[in-house]
Amino acid sequence: MLNGVTSDLERYMDLLSARQKLVASNIANADTPGYKTQDIDFQFEFATLAQGESPQTIQPEGLKEKPDGNNVNVDREARLLAENQMRFNLASVLVKDQLKTVQEAIQGGGAS
Amino acid sequence: MSLFGSLQVSASGMAAERTRAELLVENMANAETTRTPEGGPYRRKDVVFSSEPQSSPFSAVFQTEVGTGVTVSDVITDARDPIKKYMPGHPDADANGYVAFPNMNPAEDMVDLLNSQRSYAANVAAISSVKDMISRSIDIMRT
Repeated sequence: MLNGVTSDLERYMDLLSARQKLVASNIANADTPGYKTQDIDFQFEFATLAQGESPQTIQPEGLKEKPDGNNVNVDREARLLAENQMRFNLASVLVKDQLKTVQEAIQGGGAS
Repeated sequence: MSLFGSLQVSASGMAAERTRAELLVENMANAETTRTPEGGPYRRKDVVFSSEPQSSPFSAVFQTEVGTGVTVSDVITDARDPIKKYMPGHPDADANGYVAFPNMNPAEDMVDLLNSQRSYAANVAAISSVKDMISRSIDIMRT
């Protein structure tokens, strides 16, 4: 990519989409007996994950298990759904801004 | 592409909840049914959900996907004994004048139906959120 910041943002967005998929799985499986909530350790993965590698899933602790062995908390998932979406939107605006800067440099500074 | 996979996961959740709602509605419609092709009164049906990895021929090529969808793995028939009501004039009455009716609690089905509706809505919310993320990604290209 263009520079360090943009490639970090790209990785951040990749991780956010992976996490969003896990949230979608958790919501889809909210009524599946024996299903355990899946998540990724976001900060750990962001610090260590190499480009193109897929993150490891973990089962978060401290969630109340229902009698059928399912421990999905829909409120937690709703919060994460909204949070991921907003973080992703912010990152996309930042990437867009970076690209705009480069484009301005190419066009000789604002004379578009 | 992980985001499109999320859509598939949520869609599997919607399909499963829809199947469940269809069975619950069938149960309520047949609450008084005394004749079935299998013989005897109607028996309440319910679904068994199980989680299932979402894969398509395309994603198999890029096998790095995480996250699981949900599927209806089985439809079970309630084994509770039918309720006997004394109705000697009924064509389905037995020798003692009792008719077997489905053993069903409408409140149970209504609560399950509400639950199913809410779960369906939660999956729809997940889809709109992911759709927004996808369109933001596309927006990056339109600087």
